[in-house]
Parts: sequence; structure tokens; C-alpha cells
Amino acid sequence: MLKLNGVSAHYEDVQALREVSFTIQEGEIVSIIGSNGAGKSTTLNTVSGVLRASSGTIEFLGRRMENCYPHEIVDRGVVQIPEGRLLFPYMSVLENLELGAFNGKARIAKGKNIQTVFSLFPILQERRSQLAGTLSGGEQQMVAIARGLMAMPKLLMLDEPSLGLAPLMVRQVFETVKAINAQGITVLLVEQNVFHALSMSARGYVLENGSVVLEGGGKDLLNNPQVREAYLGI
Amino acid sequence: MKFISANFSETLFQPKIYFPLILILLMAVLPLIPQNPFYEDIIVSSFFYGAMALAWNLVGGFAGQISLGHTAFFGIGAYTSTLLYLHYALSPWLGMLAGVALSVLVAIGIGIPCFRLKSHFFALATIAIGEVLRFLAAYWRGLTQGGVGLLIPFKPGIENFMFKSKIPYAYIALVLMLVMLLICYWIRNSRFGFHLISLREDQDAAESLGVKTSRAKLMALIISVVFTSISGTFYAQYILFIDPFTVFSLGISIELALFAIIGGLGTVAGPILGAFMLTPLDVFLRAWLGGVSAGLNFIVYGLVLMVAVKYFPLGISGWVRTWYGPFLQKLPGGRRALKTEAAAVPSAVTAKSLEAAQAQQKASFFEVRSLSKRFGGLVAVRDVSFQVPKGKIIGLIGPNGAGKTTIFNLVTGFISPDSGEVLFQGQTITALNPPHQICLKRIGRTFQVVKPFRGMTVLENTMVGAFARLQNAQEARRLALEILDFIGLSKDHGLPTSSLTIADRKRLELGRALATRPDLLLLDEVVAGLNPRETEEIIGMIKKISDQGITILMIAHVMKAVMALSHRVVVLHHGDKIAEGTPLEISRDKRVIEAYLGEEYLA
Amino acid sequence: MDITILQLVINGLLLGGMYGLISIGLTLIFGVLEIVNFAHGEFLMLSMYAAFWLFQLYGIDPYLSMLIIIPVFFLLGIAVQRITIQPILNAPPLNQIFMTVGLSMVLQNAALFIWTADYRTMKTSYSALTLKTAGLIISFPRLVAFLLAMALIAALLIFLKKTYTGKAIRALAQERKAAMLMGINVYRTYQIAFGIGIACVGAAGAMLIPVYFVFPSVGSLFVLIAFVVVILGGYNSLVGSLAGGLIIGVVESFSGFFVSPHLKEAIYFVIFILILLFKPTGLFGRA
Repeated sequence: MLKLNGVSAHYEDVQALREVSFTIQEGEIVSIIGSNGAGKSTTLNTVSGVLRASSGTIEFLGRRMENCYPHEIVDRGVVQIPEGRLLFPYMSVLENLELGAFNGKARIAKGKNIQTVFSLFPILQERRSQLAGTLSGGEQQMVAIARGLMAMPKLLMLDEPSLGLAPLMVRQVFETVKAINAQGITVLLVEQNVFHALSMSARGYVLENGSVVLEGGGKDLLNNPQVREAYLGI
Repeated sequence: MKFISANFSETLFQPKIYFPLILILLMAVLPLIPQNPFYEDIIVSSFFYGAMALAWNLVGGFAGQISLGHTAFFGIGAYTSTLLYLHYALSPWLGMLAGVALSVLVAIGIGIPCFRLKSHFFALATIAIGEVLRFLAAYWRGLTQGGVGLLIPFKPGIENFMFKSKIPYAYIALVLMLVMLLICYWIRNSRFGFHLISLREDQDAAESLGVKTSRAKLMALIISVVFTSISGTFYAQYILFIDPFTVFSLGISIELALFAIIGGLGTVAGPILGAFMLTPLDVFLRAWLGGVSAGLNFIVYGLVLMVAVKYFPLGISGWVRTWYGPFLQKLPGGRRALKTEAAAVPSAVTAKSLEAAQAQQKASFFEVRSLSKRFGGLVAVRDVSFQVPKGKIIGLIGPNGAGKTTIFNLVTGFISPDSGEVLFQGQTITALNPPHQICLKRIGRTFQVVKPFRGMTVLENTMVGAFARLQNAQEARRLALEILDFIGLSKDHGLPTSSLTIADRKRLELGRALATRPDLLLLDEVVAGLNPRETEEIIGMIKKISDQGITILMIAHVMKAVMALSHRVVVLHHGDKIAEGTPLEISRDKRVIEAYLGEEYLA
Repeated sequence: MDITILQLVINGLLLGGMYGLISIGLTLIFGVLEIVNFAHGEFLMLSMYAAFWLFQLYGIDPYLSMLIIIPVFFLLGIAVQRITIQPILNAPPLNQIFMTVGLSMVLQNAALFIWTADYRTMKTSYSALTLKTAGLIISFPRLVAFLLAMALIAALLIFLKKTYTGKAIRALAQERKAAMLMGINVYRTYQIAFGIGIACVGAAGAMLIPVYFVFPSVGSLFVLIAFVVVILGGYNSLVGSLAGGLIIGVVESFSGFFVSPHLKEAIYFVIFILILLFKPTGLFGRA
């Protein structure tokens, strides 16, 4: 579904991605893990068009995408839930959700999608007129995910969704991601919480200093001593 | 401060030195050539605007503070000397000094509060100040005759600062310009200049290296307004008529910036190039197009400004620099080998620093007590306490968002805690701010996202750190080279920071902080983003630093580094300290494993 | 005495409504594109000339010519944004400042060159018309201008609150990266926001010419007032611009009466500097 081939990208003079290649099949959950500064967010930003790749190709559903504008990429069905959630703080939950459905067909189906999203996250319906900036971390994450769903993605990319959340919320977030995947949306997960990410992923990639250094099945990677070493020093 | 070395004649015969001297001689001869007041006037104006543009560049270019209100000081200079002359028959030379004094007072009065403002707002505030003064001059008729202006009766004589011919004016303007040029040149290569450029590039990083940014900006402003004010007096004595709309004109402020930008913002001689190019152009435009052209010359200026800003941000200097070096080499004396950089330092200097560190016998320990900080609804740090014993390496770890960098920012004066204390060597340093004070207490830090100073080479970057303890540029240079040698960047010392790899930039960041000779070094994620080999190298380097007696507190995400280096580890999670102990104890601690890998991992 | 105070307040509000309309465009541009449009006053000047010439040559009443001016200036704003602003959106603040400063110089002096420095004003049938009620004297054109300004500002606020494009503009001003990721066409939104800002100031010009005179540097005068209003009201608050405009209008009215009419300008500069130094977020702004 998504194929990156030899993608390099620069961020403020520094080469953040070095010829990264990976693929995602339709319906999968794939994780990208790695330490801070390894290039995980850069990867997502390059796919989303926020950063321009300096070389390599990005293909989605058979069509090349590396030279598209961010809004065109959303149109094609690739939606990113950014790190830190980045809600519109002075707008209500409902307005945030509505803005998620900016492009053509999502806007038409907006009403229906809002109902769907509210049934997935009942608490958001309760809080729909509240200013997004006043919600708790967990609630904000839910709004962020819901907002992304409003764009009717085929591929949903999440950048560290568990960041800054209490353990209970973290579990809930990952349950939600699994549920979304069960509904047929492919998921690319960039995560810090290795266990959750890898145990629900079909496959995973380990990034280090902008390059893919390990790849394999989710469970295999979890048991791979190299991964555990990197994260725990044991 | 020596910039002419002992071997005078050898220095003199280098093209780098004699060519600019030849240019200066040409300029000195220039006023005598035309024998025609029209051209003489152009020369006077060019020198005079050159001086003013250089003065503006000190604040706008070197320090990066875009002032659009310099006309205020021009006008103060013009009016002060003129009024003193007209009412008290005070010689304009003395009146000039009075104007300078007044300008400096105003500069201090407005500079201190205004420098807090960000660039767009600073520009707006400076415009407002210029305008306020213009209104005052226009409407305080009792003092200034208002819009009618002031006419100075023509009584030539040196004591009146008035001359029959334009030539003496040209020489006075030339002297003014050359003095300003010399000052700019001297500043550029001095500690003060390094401070200015570093604060322009990254104010936070500069503060962390001990640069007193507010004071430096103010000094630059003061020097700048002294010369701007003198120029105002000069103008009054040259034209012999001033009115509020001419000397307190926003147009002047903009023109000065224009000359500096066209010539090369932040360069030493760039503004002169800009002034020399545009002043004659302006005069000719006005003369040729006559009355029909009202405004045409400004249309050209405006377009030039817009185009320059977009396509030639480096100005003419950028272009000149590409051929100037090779050109100098082709001149006689150019092929002589350029002075080689000072080689690796005699070991005496290294030994001295080691002794100094070990002589610090009093308890150099560092303690954080019950530190708390919340941002809005989010508690970033909650009641965290720990100690860092002297000479040890303490690791501060925790998953993303645990509060580690917040602790660093709290400790180094970038943000202030809601409650709690920070103690260093027995002193409370909690309330210390701005951050340069922390550096002066001998605490250095690096930043998670490296902040190299872009306008400078690797060596110059390190020198900014060295200047924290040293006044003399040559000593700072030597220390910087020593540090670069220590961290392995000697061969790259002349390179611009943009050509460094991320690993090298992290090393530069480390070296820069080291150059401030800290007793305690705070390293923020210095290992992140490095490949295994680079990680090994930096681990080795940190060990070397610790061996020199410097205490280290490091935030790290890469467990390998933490385990290899730390004597003890403090673990944060969601703003709380959840564990503390040796690396081995920590790696087995249930709560830590839970925090990183999730509870399920243990199940 | 009371009546005089009330009169001053009314005069001030009428004037202030105009200031609000001029400033709201500036705030919108700063809030969305994060640049200070130093050329804002020149667009006011251009629209005043436009209204003037439309009246002079074709007899079109300025309040009617607003119908032409608003869309034309909207398009003008978009064109200017694409040519001059778009390329320097990510440039250092210095470059941004000087791009619009340069633009302001070009426009002002082009006007000087084309139309000379002569002051122009127009006399319509209602220029001198006043309404007298309850002992107060209210200038008719100023009243109409005030009502139109309020209507336009209200329309703008509703547009931003209710329509999709309006929400996209607000979203972009609050959180740029997320707006990009939501499929909002950022470049087009920047253009629209700039265009709206210029359209507002264009409308203000048409309203202003019946009661004021136009000359090439009139923009400099009003833009400085606009900056004061924006900073006073809060540089990221549209409602703040309206409030700030009304306040400044009243301040000007009072200081013109109690203090010298000339010094009133110096007064609002002092206000400006004080706010920048002590409460930079202004009355309604957010940090």
C-alpha cells in the first residue's frame, strides 16, 4: 500500500533520513521504533509532505507521492496524527473534528463521520463544546485520533500517541488503534512504548540515526535481544 | 589589544593589509579631485552616509536588532548642537558632545525595555520612538521653532564648525567614517563582537555560554548612537538648516538599513559599499529627473530593497567575498604563506587547567530539592529531589515527556520553578536568571537540539565559550583550539557549522560548553541520534571530561551510554522521580521496566 | 459639561469604528501569516485614491464604490501576497520586515509620482450633513461609515466563525503544522487571509474619503494608528482590534479637545510604547 524506496531527507542542514526503505501492506499495523533523534518523526513528516524528500520515491496505492503538497496527500487518504497532538487549542472539540474533514469527500460525509467518531469516543460527544486546549492529555489524544479519522484515511499514521499519557490512557489509546485497524484502516505507528507497539504490529522497523537497522515481525523484534539492549541496556 | 603584530613591515606587505590601506589613501585623495561642488557634495554625502550605515550595522547587523528608529538620534544630535549654538553661542564641536550625551541617555532609556521585544515588535517600537521625537520637535515650537525649522547663519570658521568649501567637510566625514570602520573592525575580532554575533544567532545558547545578552545589546546601541548623533550634528553644520521632517525622518532610518543590507548585513565594510553605491545613485536620480521625479528615486530604492531582501540577502559583500580572497593572493606579497594557525597547545596549559579543577576542594556538589513546575494544566515536574556528588557522573533518564529537559531548564535559569530549590556548592541558585548567571557560576550546559552559531566557524563558536572566562581574543583562541583538539575537531576548526555532521555538531556543542571551564556540566541528550561508533566515541570523551574533575549530570535516552558512564542514575516518569540507584539496580527495578516497556512486559 | 463629554465619546466611537476596520486587517495578516504588513497604510491610501477617482471621473458615490473596491482589493491582496510575501514566509524576520517596508516605499512614491502631493478631497451631497439630536451633533457620513464598518467587522467575524474557510484561517493561525496535516491548503489559505485583510482596509478607505483628504503619505499616518490599535487590543485578537480601535478613537477625541490637537499623535505613540513594554499581549490577546 505504502512503499518508500531510498528516501533521504534533510532537516535544517542535517541529514535526518538516509535512504530509508520500507513497505506497508494493506490492513497491517506496522511500527517504527528507535531512540530520540533516530528519524521516526521525520519519516512521517516526509510521507505527509511536510518535509520534502531530497531523494528516493514514495508510492501510495501505486501512485508516486513524494512531490505532492500536504493537502494533496491527505486527499489521497494518508493522514498523520502528529506528535504532541497539535489540536487547535482555542476551538471546540467539535470544530476540531469538523476541520479534520476539510477535503472533498470527507466534508460530504462529515455528519455521518461525526456520529461514528462519537460512538467510538463517547466522552468526546459529552465534551464537544469544550475548548480543545482545556482537555486532559488523554482526552486530547482521543480528539486528535478522532480528528484524523474524520479525514477518512486509508492509512493512518500516528506519531508517539502514548507520549505524556498515564499508563491507563496508554492502554486505551492502543486498544483504540487496534479497533481502528480492525475496521480496515491500515496503521503506521511510530512509538516510544516498545512493548505495546511491537506486540500489536504485524511487522516493525528499527531506525537508528536515520537508517533502518532492523526489520522483522512484530513479535520477533520484541524478543530480539538487540532491541531490548538498545532500550534497556541489558 | 594588539592587531598589528610585532613584525611590522612583514605584516604591512601582506595584501590583506596594504590593499585596504591603498583604498583608504584613494578615498583620502578623492575630495581633492573634482574641483566641482556638485561632485564634492556627492563625496561628502557618501562618506557621511557610510559612517552612519556602519553605525547602524553595529546594532542591526552585528547584534541583529533591527532598529528603524535611528533617525531619533540623528535628530537629537542635529537639534542639540544647533540649539546650543543659536541660543548660547556654544561651539558646535562642544554641542556635538552634548548631543551625544543626550542621545546616549535616550538610548539607554529606551534600549533597556525595548530589547525585550521580539524582532517585529522591536522594529515597531523603534519606529514609534522616532515618530514621537518628530512630533515633539514639530510641535514644541517654543524650543525648536516647530515645522519652520532652524537656520544657522553662515559664519565660516573652524570654531563654528562651518567651512566655505566642501572639502573640509569631506575630510571630517571621512575621518568619522574611518574611525567607525576601525571600531567595527576591532569589535568584530574582539570578545564583544563574538558576544554580539552569538546573541544574534541564538540568544539562548549565547546566554548559556555566559554572554550577558542585554548588556551587550545595550553597548552596541550606545556606540551606534554616539556616531549617529555626531552625524546629526555634522549634517546640521553642513546644510545649515534643519527641520523636524528632515532630521527625524523614518526615511533616514530605512535608508541606513538599506545601505547595510545592500552592502552586506553584519559585515565590517559592507555598509560602506552600500552607501558608496546608493548615495551617488540617489543624487544623480534626483538631479536628472528634476521636479518631475518626485518620489521616483524612492520607488527605485523600494524595489532595490525588495529584490535585495529576496535574492541577495548577503548583499554585495557576499559577491565580493567570492573573488576578493583570490584577488589578494595575486597581488605582490600574496603568495607568501599565510600565518599558520597556532598548533596544538603546549601541555603546560592543559596541566594548568587540570590543577585548577582539582584545586576546587570545597564541596562542589549540586542538589535539587523538591523542584516542581507546571505548565497550565500539565504538571511537568513534581517534587523532584536528588543530589549530584562532586566528580561523579549522574544519569537522568526516563521515557519521553518525563520532565528531564524541564529540570535542566529549571536549573539553568531558562524557566523558573513553582517551588523547590537548586543548590550549587552550598549556594542557592534557584532564582538566578538570566541564564548567563548560571554560566558564570561555572555550570555549563548543552541543548538537546544543538544550537551552533551559524555565522561563525567551528573555532569561533568555541571561542564564544572561551570568552566566558577570558577577555583577550588571542587567549580565547588558544583555549578554543585546545578544546577542539581535546574533542577531536581541530582539523575542522575553520569550517562553517553547516558543513558538520550531526555527530560533530554535538561534539561542538560539548566543546563550546567545555570552553567556559565549568565545574558542573549538564548534558542534554548528547548521545541521541548517533550511530554505535559515534556513541562509543562520545562515551569515551565524556569519560575523559569526567577524569578532568568536571562533575556531569546527563540526560540520556540511550541506555547503553547511561549504563557505561553513570555512577548513579535518577529515573523520572511523568514528572515524578520513580527510582534512583546504580545503573545495575535501575535496570532491574520493576518500576523502571514498567515505565519504559509497559506493565504487560513483566506479566 | 455632560453633553460635551457625550459628544466627545460619540465622535470618538465613530472615528474608532474606522480605526477598528483598518486594524482588523492588520491583525488578521499578522495572526495568520505572522508578518507585520508595514505597507498596510499604503493600501488604505490606494483605496482612498480609488474611491476619489471613481467619484471624480464617474460620479460614483464612495459608499457604492465600496462594492467595486472590496472585491478588487481582495484580488489585489492575493496578487501581492503571491508575488512579495509568499517567497519570504520562512525567511528571517529582517527580510520580512524589509520586504513590506520596501513595498510601502514603492507604493507611496508611485502614488506621489502619479498623482502628485496635492491633497485631494471630495464633496458629496451629504459631506456636511449632520444629524442633531438631544443636543448632540452627529456627522452623517461618519455615522454611515461607522455603521458600515461595524457591519463589515461583524460579517468578517461571522465568516471566520461559521464558514469552513474561516475556520481554516483560524486553525492555521493557531496551529500551522496540524492545519497542514488536516488537508488544509495552507498556501491558498494564506492568500485568502491576506486578501481579506487588504479588502478590509480597502473598504475603510472608501468610507474615509468623504470625511478626510488623501495624499500619498496619508497611509503612514493611519498605519501608525493601526499599529497602536493592534497592540492595544492584542495582536492576535480580532475582537481586540475592534475594541482597541474604539478606545483609541475615544482617546483621540478627548485628547484633541483637552490637550492640543497636535499632540494627540504623540499621545498614542506613548501608549503604544507603554503597552509594548508592559503588556505586550494587549487587552484581549493571548500569550
